[in-house]
Amino acid sequence: MSETLRVDIWSDIACPWCFIGKRKFEQGVRRYAAGDGALPVEVEYHSFELAPDTPVDFEGSEADFLAGYKGLPAAQVAVMIERVRTIAADVGLAYDYDALRHTKTLKAHQVLHLAKARGLQLELVERLFTAYFEQGRHIGHDDDLADLAADVGLDRDEVHAALAAGTYAADVAADIAQARTYGISGVPFFVIDGRYGVSGAQAPSIFEEGLRQATSDRAGVEV
Amino acid sequence: MSAVREPDVTAVGPTPFVVLGDPAAAVCEGDACELPDQAP
Repeated sequence: MSETLRVDIWSDIACPWCFIGKRKFEQGVRRYAAGDGALPVEVEYHSFELAPDTPVDFEGSEADFLAGYKGLPAAQVAVMIERVRTIAADVGLAYDYDALRHTKTLKAHQVLHLAKARGLQLELVERLFTAYFEQGRHIGHDDDLADLAADVGLDRDEVHAALAAGTYAADVAADIAQARTYGISGVPFFVIDGRYGVSGAQAPSIFEEGLRQATSDRAGVEV
Repeated sequence: MSAVREPDVTAVGPTPFVVLGDPAAAVCEGDACELPDQAP
């Protein structure tokens, strides 16, 4: 049996709880790693497209999108955005909803699969989250994605070619289908060592607990 | 072009898993990314 704990994470770049959950998960991993008997943790991200009907180009703020395009009450949107911004700040993230460029994330997911194939997925996940929520960068166009991918060491031309050919479209679709098979309807969703599921931006202690439990299970199996 | 590569998400496997934590934790579903106590 592998001496590495695997964590599979279903997530969407346009999901505010996914970036917050990423930070909480990372805290949980650090706590786990500081304890006795911790195993190396291997993380892999999987695609989940929250809103496939989102246009690539939406002129307006996130509040405009939710209130205007989706028809949510403006007051509800304002409260929701402020609460999410506050919780993000609690984990060290500076969400900038005024600058955020709402867009369709399907192509971003394809580039994340290219990054996985090149061993740079975790770096690109972080880059895309930061670009989207903190820097007001567009993540829906080929050129923008190529620029962001290049920031973490991917080849711009390869990004363009992969997007033009749809090289990783099947991988994105398979991730989404796998989520559906698991009954995952919301993200983030974490699967620890194929045994434990954690739904949402849970406290770091929950991730630490899951990792420890999975480690104990391994020990029980191997004795 | 979707036949270019085989999907590579088989590592997770079909085994059901135990769900940990607060079942009402914050998630996004569709366009809704509210805290549980904000739900209509």
